Amino acid sequence: MMFSNALERLARLCSILGGLLMTALMLMTCYSLIGRNVFDTALIGDFELTGIGSGAAIAFFMPLCQFKRDNIIVDFFTANRSAAFNHKLDRFGDLLMTVIFFLLAWRSGTAAINARESLGASMLLGFPDWIVFTSMCIPFALTAFIAAMQTLSKFNPEEASA
Amino acid sequence: MTPIQLALLIFGVMLFLMVVRVPIAGAMFIAGAVGFVLQSGVSPFLNFINNLAFARLANYDLSVIPLFILMGHFATQGGISKALFQFAASVMGRFKGGLAMGAVLACAAFGAICGSSVATAATITGVALPEMKRHGYSGRLATGTLAAGGTLGILIPPSVPLVIYAILTEQNIAKLFAAAMLPGIIAMVGYMIAIAIYVRVVPGQAPESEEVEKLTFESLKGILPIATIFIIVFGGIYAGFFTPTEGAAVGATSTFVAALLKRELTWAKFLECFHATALSSAMIFMIFMGADVMNASLARTQVPGQLAEMVVAMNLAPLMVVSGILLLYVVLGAVMDELSMLLLTIPIFFPIIMKLDFGMTPEHTAIWFGIMVLMTVGFGMLAPPVGLNVYVVNGMAKDVPLSESYKGIMPFLISDTVRTLLLLFFPGISLFLIQYLT
Repeated sequence: MMFSNALERLARLCSILGGLLMTALMLMTCYSLIGRNVFDTALIGDFELTGIGSGAAIAFFMPLCQFKRDNIIVDFFTANRSAAFNHKLDRFGDLLMTVIFFLLAWRSGTAAINARESLGASMLLGFPDWIVFTSMCIPFALTAFIAAMQTLSKFNPEEASA
Repeated sequence: MTPIQLALLIFGVMLFLMVVRVPIAGAMFIAGAVGFVLQSGVSPFLNFINNLAFARLANYDLSVIPLFILMGHFATQGGISKALFQFAASVMGRFKGGLAMGAVLACAAFGAICGSSVATAATITGVALPEMKRHGYSGRLATGTLAAGGTLGILIPPSVPLVIYAILTEQNIAKLFAAAMLPGIIAMVGYMIAIAIYVRVVPGQAPESEEVEKLTFESLKGILPIATIFIIVFGGIYAGFFTPTEGAAVGATSTFVAALLKRELTWAKFLECFHATALSSAMIFMIFMGADVMNASLARTQVPGQLAEMVVAMNLAPLMVVSGILLLYVVLGAVMDELSMLLLTIPIFFPIIMKLDFGMTPEHTAIWFGIMVLMTVGFGMLAPPVGLNVYVVNGMAKDVPLSESYKGIMPFLISDTVRTLLLLFFPGISLFLIQYLT
């Protein structure tokens, strides 16, 4: 696959970013809980941040999942076919995933522009929606690119047997 | 095209794509998109996609899923499982087949802080399989036990499938977790009984006697971190100190701390937690988005609603309808993954169930049906031809043929069937703990 190493690094970097974000949300929730239950000082809008933050984190998890082709497939019907034949089918799947992630990236981008113009924001904190849409658009675009490269990849018997 | 033809077309496209190895999430997405565009045109579809990812991914209630997954991976990488298995083995060691029963006990305990059956199976297999081999257990019994034990990861709360059911049906997650507690324990005991019978009926599967360390005060330490975390998380949720999402965050944090105290969480393992969380979360949420497109498209045909009315109008015995649905799940679960199956079918079946009279309050009906569905999900993780847990454990065992592993899970599938029937005819078992919740 073209740019395989670079794309894997990028995808791993994205998943670490997402993981760090989840860790931060996890610690923030604990901090907020201790404040609320012990010191009676609530952190306003912590649940909004958790929702928004995990949304971005999950989007950043997508590239690695696509790179590893870790989305669940049904291989029951094709288990007896040759590896080369299944690789062809997988490239067809990759093509469809390219289309899907291209759509998701494109529409999240459009939504980001709309939200910026309409000043859409979260209820309590007023956190701008366009930042959330953008934080999804970028990893979706990367995922689309990874899937596109997988679609163009050649069959490699060594990779298949590994 | 009539609505029915359209709905059949949507399903047909999805099935075709699934058969040719397109990821299930993608197959649902594309099939749904085709149906959507045929009914409403391109630009309404594009507008629908605008908000799809935002609504599904940036959702407070759903953020409980990646948090519980992160917690499970901290537990997996944190070196908690080894001491846990030693403890479980010394508890069960006196019985014939004790090490296998110990593995089941360890899976159940691990399941109390892990919401995924594959992660539970893989984690306990890592520590238990070498020991079982060393003591002379057959590959058949060892892999069967561990694959079945892994399903305790979802049967005992926290449970990712149960969270998804709760969100789809707008039920209280905490109540569903409480409802799953007794059935989970029954599942554990049922598996142990299955082992006890199996090692007596089929000779040569387990050693006659095994040398296991005695249960001491020291070995109690093995269960300590998990017990503490479980009490903090579920105590906190049921005492009303925090929501399930907050409980998941607290659980992930305390598991992280427990792993740090074990001094096993290196930087590389820490990053591995992120990668593993990324893979399972992305996979689950991709299925969510695919099912959203598919369901939006099917809902537009209005066929699911008509189907529900038709079933209700047939005036079948309610228990027959539930049995039919559960049987369908067992069949579907044999070839499809369980998450996609729930996401696709719950929006169709749940309204049917809620229209039938089981002599229970609507909330109790919803909770009981959720537990029944969970049982079939566990079944699907084991049953051939595609039992995900069996694949995972068998892959780790390396020298055991897959057919042997499938033979090994048979006693557990029988145990599953008995338990499912028990819970089907006695809803009180699932609802027993609920009455103590306000």
